[in-house]
Amino acid sequence: MLKKWVPYLLLLPTFIIIGFFIYYPAIMTFKMSAYRVSPFGNKVIYIGLKNFHSLFSSQEYMQVLSTTLIFVAVTVGVGLAISLLIALLLNEKVPGIGVFRTLMFAPYAISPAVAGTLWAFLLSPAAGYISYIFLEFFGIQPQWLTSYPLALVSIMMATIWKNLGFNIIFFLAGIQSIPKSYYEAATIDGANAAKRLFKITIPLVSPVTFYLVIMNIIFTTFSVFGTIDIMTQGGPGSTTTTLIYKLYRDGFVNYRTGLASTESIILLIIMSVFTYIYFKFAQRAVHYQ
Amino acid sequence: MWRKLIVISLTAVFLMSFAVAAPVTIQFWHAMSGARIQLIQDLANKFMKTHPDIIVKVQYTGSYNDTLNKTIAAVKGGNPPDIVQVYDIGTQMMIDSGIVVPIQKFIDQDKTFDVNTLVPQARGYYTVGGKLYSLPFNSSNPVIFYNKTLFKKAGLDPNDPPTTWNEFKKVCEKLTIKDSSGNTVQYGFTSGLIGWFFEQFMAVQDAPMFNNGNGRDKRATKAVFGSPAGLRIFNFWNDMVQSGIMINAGPGWSNPRQIFMSQKSAMLLTSTSDVEMMLKAAKENHFDLGVMFLPHPNGVPYGGVIIGGASLWMIDSHNTQKEKAAWEFMKWLSGVDPQIEWSTGTGYFPINKNAIQKLLYSGYYAKYPQYLVTVLQLLMSNVTTSTRGGVVGPFPQIRSTIEKALGKVFNHNMTVSKALEWAQDQANQSIEEYNSLYQ
Repeated sequence: MLKKWVPYLLLLPTFIIIGFFIYYPAIMTFKMSAYRVSPFGNKVIYIGLKNFHSLFSSQEYMQVLSTTLIFVAVTVGVGLAISLLIALLLNEKVPGIGVFRTLMFAPYAISPAVAGTLWAFLLSPAAGYISYIFLEFFGIQPQWLTSYPLALVSIMMATIWKNLGFNIIFFLAGIQSIPKSYYEAATIDGANAAKRLFKITIPLVSPVTFYLVIMNIIFTTFSVFGTIDIMTQGGPGSTTTTLIYKLYRDGFVNYRTGLASTESIILLIIMSVFTYIYFKFAQRAVHYQ
Repeated sequence: MWRKLIVISLTAVFLMSFAVAAPVTIQFWHAMSGARIQLIQDLANKFMKTHPDIIVKVQYTGSYNDTLNKTIAAVKGGNPPDIVQVYDIGTQMMIDSGIVVPIQKFIDQDKTFDVNTLVPQARGYYTVGGKLYSLPFNSSNPVIFYNKTLFKKAGLDPNDPPTTWNEFKKVCEKLTIKDSSGNTVQYGFTSGLIGWFFEQFMAVQDAPMFNNGNGRDKRATKAVFGSPAGLRIFNFWNDMVQSGIMINAGPGWSNPRQIFMSQKSAMLLTSTSDVEMMLKAAKENHFDLGVMFLPHPNGVPYGGVIIGGASLWMIDSHNTQKEKAAWEFMKWLSGVDPQIEWSTGTGYFPINKNAIQKLLYSGYYAKYPQYLVTVLQLLMSNVTTSTRGGVVGPFPQIRSTIEKALGKVFNHNMTVSKALEWAQDQANQSIEEYNSLYQ
């Protein structure tokens, strides 16, 4: 029989690490949100809830909020739809399917910053390849990175492309775990391909979809700032500035640590509310096998 | 007895030699990427050869922004570098940081250093309240590169580039080529959406960015760039973009360069530090490269340009030996030969007058007149409060606010005057907030 304190002792190293690297910074963030801090941290003024007030009374922050909402909704929605489609294609038995699967997964292996560089290069005004193709074949010159809403669309494209590999792998695994007999039975009963997709495949991969939605929301909300920084720097105006990118700018470019802490708390609240709602309501719609 | 004495004296000699010869190690953090990493390392190696008592540990710490962030983190962690390269607009922040030793202290003490060898414009920028705070190192200014071959094709004289805004617009119109379906295949002009250029065009008109002598007499409390001079720039820039004779290349430096190098635009607004890159690109793409000064609006007296780039700051280590060593290194870097090596290897101009002279006499500027233009533009600038550049705490933020405002104008979100007013209001807010920390 183990002594009562032994498990606690064994957990202690983990607690120490989490404490130092997660809880302590988190508590400091809460504390800092009540201060105005100089760039080098040598001067601080207590300002209470003023940081919150200035954010919520700023029109720009409201715009950033709505941009983030649109960006996340479209990127996750469209991204998952495309991923499912490609996963279905990759499930077909054709020669060399392994190569295709590898190629499709490749974008996931590169960092968001590299993805941003690549897309910025392709979409570069006048000299980029995509700009060239549009001029040659369609006779138009869209200003991908410097006009609204195309700049936001460009970031969405880059993010969807970047997350594609991750989503496809999970969808593929989900699809392959569906027993063949369901499809055989449905075919005998006269169900066509579309019906099989909507009545069998989509409901049965819903646990995977549920997981992917959550993961994608987290990806797109948190890791997109590298892509944005390289492609548009939040512009034109601030039309491609999302919550995380604004936080990055305020914290590490404008050196306003107090304000950035406040923004990270708002981000935390939004994410927790969102996750709570999702778990509460969306779980009912999920079919578990 | 004898033995004891010998042992004691040997020990004493040993200890003394240790105290004298023990090399001092200093940390130097910089933000110069690519081939410049090796160039700086080579310079440091040369210094260490002639100064065996000093070890310089050179560390490339990412962009200007990354370097400053790392420095802030290192200061908070109690382990900062001894010398750090900080961008121009970080000057007030560094002064307020409470962690630097102004190099004026060493200039006053060290009789072997003649501060008058420093180019006055570069010295002027980093002098605040009569004190030279940091050593100018990589200094640049904005110029317009132009494609002489395309000028000739358009029937323009490649050796008579425009000098005023009106002339400039006319030249752009001539250089813009459209295909049969109305798409532009060649633009007159391109530029990144970079706030630094706005500041430069303010200086060209001899107009200040901030009050209190551009923040140099006293701490700036208000932004004043919403003046007629500022409005002129917004209108000029916007007219060029809207009429399609200029292509707005968006944020950053690489897209506009790419557009110019691939000859989709005949002119490019960029930094003098690109001169080496542009010379290479012109050779590879078979066109003749010209460099011109920034044009100025008609009927407005010409001011000049502001130096950009970065300077070297000494961090207070509370260790006189280290500070002395750091000063030795900085002093050496500002010398003639290191400045020539640095300048010819990059395109930044020498901050040492004698280095410029030596390059001139050696025929270097005759061979590469493009390099001469970059130096001349600066030396021909009047030294006024406006051309010495603004000093203000939240400068990085103000710069990006101006970029935001221009983006709104280009996309018809705001009218020109509204956007400028908005930018000035935002700037005032951030100045007020920043200053409240130091009252």
